Amino acid sequence: MSTLNQFGAILTYAIELEGNIASYYETVGDADRAKSATKRKSKLERIRRENVVEITLEPIDGLDEADYVFNFENTSDEGQSAIEATASQFYEDVAPKINVRQAQRGLERAGKEHRAYLS
Amino acid sequence: MTRTLKNYIHGEWVDSSASETIPVYNPATCEVLAQCPDSNQDDVNDAVASAVEGFKEWRRTPILSRAQYMHHYKNLIEENFEEMAKIMVQENGKTMDEARGEIRRGIESIDFAMSVPVLMRNDGLEDISSGIDETTVRQPAGVFVAITPFNFPSMVPLWFLPTAITCGNSFILKPSPQTPLSTELLYEMLDEIDLPEGVVNLVNGGVPSVNALMTHPDVTGVSFVGSSHVAKIIYETCTAHGKRVQAQGGAKNYIAVMPDADMEASVKNVLGAAYGCAGQRCLAAAVAVGVGDAHDKLRDELLKQTQNLKVGYGLDETSQMGSVVSAESQKRIENMIQQAVDEGATLLLDGRGIKVDGYEDGSFVGPTILTDVTPDMMIAREEVFGPVLALIKADDFEETVDMINASHYGNAASIFTSSGRYAREFKYNVNAGNIGVNIGVAAPSASFPFGGQKDSFFGDLHGQGMDAIEFYTERKIVIERWI
Repeated sequence: MSTLNQFGAILTYAIELEGNIASYYETVGDADRAKSATKRKSKLERIRRENVVEITLEPIDGLDEADYVFNFENTSDEGQSAIEATASQFYEDVAPKINVRQAQRGLERAGKEHRAYLS
Repeated sequence: MTRTLKNYIHGEWVDSSASETIPVYNPATCEVLAQCPDSNQDDVNDAVASAVEGFKEWRRTPILSRAQYMHHYKNLIEENFEEMAKIMVQENGKTMDEARGEIRRGIESIDFAMSVPVLMRNDGLEDISSGIDETTVRQPAGVFVAITPFNFPSMVPLWFLPTAITCGNSFILKPSPQTPLSTELLYEMLDEIDLPEGVVNLVNGGVPSVNALMTHPDVTGVSFVGSSHVAKIIYETCTAHGKRVQAQGGAKNYIAVMPDADMEASVKNVLGAAYGCAGQRCLAAAVAVGVGDAHDKLRDELLKQTQNLKVGYGLDETSQMGSVVSAESQKRIENMIQQAVDEGATLLLDGRGIKVDGYEDGSFVGPTILTDVTPDMMIAREEVFGPVLALIKADDFEETVDMINASHYGNAASIFTSSGRYAREFKYNVNAGNIGVNIGVAAPSASFPFGGQKDSFFGDLHGQGMDAIEFYTERKIVIERWI
């Protein structure tokens, strides 16, 4: 069964992901990217807190955590690109599944920030 | 040895004078979390005396200062949001998402209370007669009490407390002894904002404290949320003792699904309405009426989607439905399912006997669907307060409306349709206080009154919205002539 099956589960996954990405970039020595990830983590925590709508909590299907594999051991340029690409894909997949527009927008913006590192 | 909770009286955490306690369980793990004192008349007398004293200073506190306390309170709740959610999951059994959603809705009520300085303003007329002016002023009315249930241990107290005190009243909360830890945390945060002593008080316990509060001569008004049976007793007792009262009772909420509804999307929402909070909410969908051709499609889609719901411990982020509140509730719900079967209903999905890995002794009831239900069966008439959805077939829209209106409850009803005509007729004709159109949980936001008709509500002014301002204030008419 997917672990990305409802609002809180998805947001919690995203929050943990950004925490891991922040630690990763600290290891890499890229303070700017680490700071950006920490900032996204805070925003996502706020989104989880402020945009949960009790009356429209619904199950979410069609997402699978196994589709998002992050290798935080690989600190090379290629490794960093792979992490950004996977993170970007994650946000692209989950945002349309969320039924609260404000939360959706937050996820879309996080995805956009990760995509920007790829160009 | 677990700790025994304290009451909060006159700005201090104090022991109850009662020796009896009620264990507070984690219904998923069966762990005893704390002991709740079964407070008595002496405790209530202390709380009311404190509230009377607190009211004297508080009503003279400038209204903008009173509202400012709510800003501080809201900020503290935001800071402690996740901790609150976890405590609620542990004592209630709901999921983390449901707990977060509940706290969010509680915060909406604090936001509403911040608008009290606007909402308490009143009007006036000059020269109603020669040289005579007439105005109305709203004044706080005194000591208010709220007696709140286990199913929303943070949100329901926040329906009442912020508005009551921002209007200038003092307040006593008597939470459910099944879920007192959430309210303890609410009061720890109230303690931090340094309100004057006596403005907010907390009395833990069960029937003895309720009886004492309902009959105490210095209590002005009582708000209650719980079963219809108790709501009626509260209403009758409080009115007999000269108090204003708003008593929200139980429900048997119908959801009509028309043939023109988007079935997949509708069922997704119906699922949340029927099984959210394990069906333990007064707005839970209890009966789904498949109208005409919709019936079979609804049944099949319901089964398909419901089977996939993950039941588990609420602290697991992926649990989509948690436990019910207690072993007693579990047994009662399972007995009602059996009674429905005995009366001729068919079990399409049986949630009895479900075991959750790691929590085998927990009070879990899986999502249950009963078909071949008829309106005369107990399962179509009486509140289950559990994750049980009864499916009824109706030939047409008119039969559906008649069926809903025959219920002695009138809390909520919803329709799923793509027809504006059916939606309008439904809103117009159904006798329920909260109507949903393509939404299964018709929960009013904080600026609207929480509806309720027939045996679902006893009183006239409802909780929330402008009704709350009316409930918590006294209007005074001033006629002035200066010669």
